[in-house]
Amino acid sequence: MEPLEEEGKELTKKMRWLTYNDLIFPPQVPGENPRPAYICLVKENIKYSPKKMWYIACLVRGMSVDEAIRQLSFVSRKGAEIAKETIKEAQSLAIQDHNVEYKSNLWVAESFVGKGPVVHGIRRHARMRIGKVEYKHCHYFVRLEEGKPPDNYYNRPSFDKQSMVDRWMKMIRNRKISSSL
Amino acid sequence: MLFGIEPIFYFQVRNPCTIYLGAENVYFNQTRCRTGKHWEPKFKKLRGLKFITVKLPDYSELEKSVDEMSKDEIRTKMKEKGLLPEQPWMESPIYISCTGDVFEPYIPPEGDGKLSPISAKGAKQKLEFLEKKSKSLMALRKIRSFEEDFEPRIFLKLAEDIYILAHNEIMKKNNKDLIRYITERANPEIIHNVADKTIHWKYLETIEPAKVVHLRCTDVISRDNIFGQITVRFHSKQMLAVYDRFGRLMHGSESISKDVLEYIVFEKHLSNQYGVWRIHGKIIPDWMPPSEYPLNTFIDVT
Repeated sequence: MEPLEEEGKELTKKMRWLTYNDLIFPPQVPGENPRPAYICLVKENIKYSPKKMWYIACLVRGMSVDEAIRQLSFVSRKGAEIAKETIKEAQSLAIQDHNVEYKSNLWVAESFVGKGPVVHGIRRHARMRIGKVEYKHCHYFVRLEEGKPPDNYYNRPSFDKQSMVDRWMKMIRNRKISSSL
Repeated sequence: MLFGIEPIFYFQVRNPCTIYLGAENVYFNQTRCRTGKHWEPKFKKLRGLKFITVKLPDYSELEKSVDEMSKDEIRTKMKEKGLLPEQPWMESPIYISCTGDVFEPYIPPEGDGKLSPISAKGAKQKLEFLEKKSKSLMALRKIRSFEEDFEPRIFLKLAEDIYILAHNEIMKKNNKDLIRYITERANPEIIHNVADKTIHWKYLETIEPAKVVHLRCTDVISRDNIFGQITVRFHSKQMLAVYDRFGRLMHGSESISKDVLEYIVFEKHLSNQYGVWRIHGKIIPDWMPPSEYPLNTFIDVT
């Protein structure tokens, strides 16, 4: 709701990722499938390299929240702990503010890293030369969605018996035998 | 040592890591195998000194609001920056265009005041009515001293309009226009939790004509600064559906209408030439059963 004139404007600017939490969707008609709830959260300015954080962000993508937390607790990296805390925070916010009923009924729909501020330092080299040191920061973005995670988030080929046979048959039938009819 | 009394074995492995098998203590220091570590620890400290220390900004500290900091923390921060402490403000802001409460609130009688006057309870109720009525009449006289042509019957039409318009503004979430129909005291109570919801409300019909049940006047600060409050009884048929942020139905229904009996308090700053009647509050009696609210499974997240 728009604040009154005397209340003044907000002092700090909100990150665009968090403004998705303010979107209000039109009411649904009774027969429609209920729209899944979601929550966006960002952990800003982490003193950690975005390159290292990328691996952790990719790991949890498309997992259920419980599975993501379980997997991250076995990764002995600084970023894993931060990602885990962020996901847990998003989970509790979803229940408090976004009308999500069951805390386990959530999955990591989006999980990615953004580049944060880089502080430049100096390192001495021989013969009066210097080297630049970059102290990198990153932002960790996460979006949890209500419902069960998709079976095949990354659209990877399945390796069960039937699908492997099918693939083989397709390959055999599609082959071109040279000098044939 | 190789030909000493104690047999000692050295195994050279691919990494610059040695598996040492002593006679008494046998240990495998395989964890020491790390690339990127200089083999000569002699100048380790000097190598470290090549880096010029930079003070990295502590973002968790920078983003911390003043409310989260303790008194000592604020003191040390201000000392660092050489700032003088702020003078304590003894004043506190108050709003004077509306009162902060419903004074002498109307207590709706149980069973809608239809107890038999012969019974002891009913007789007591009737006596209370009479006592309150005399006070209301005095308040009416007071209102008429400011508004000469004040007539409760005409006021009721206005009250109903305000009631409907205020609800429509809540639906539109238009805070700027809403404040024309509700007082500043009622504003936070009404807009609480409304921001991320979609509300569909309809005033379908009036079951019983609205009735003025209670009038009161009070002076604030000075003798001639007078506020008037009128409690109006509305009995109507309404439709209410509340949707959450994702458009899912949370409460009520679009198709089911309900009978609503409400006691609404209207307030006006009578001394103010430009004062208007606005919704000031709602009277919820103690004996009333709690209203329905959406039930959720309770899970402790913390």
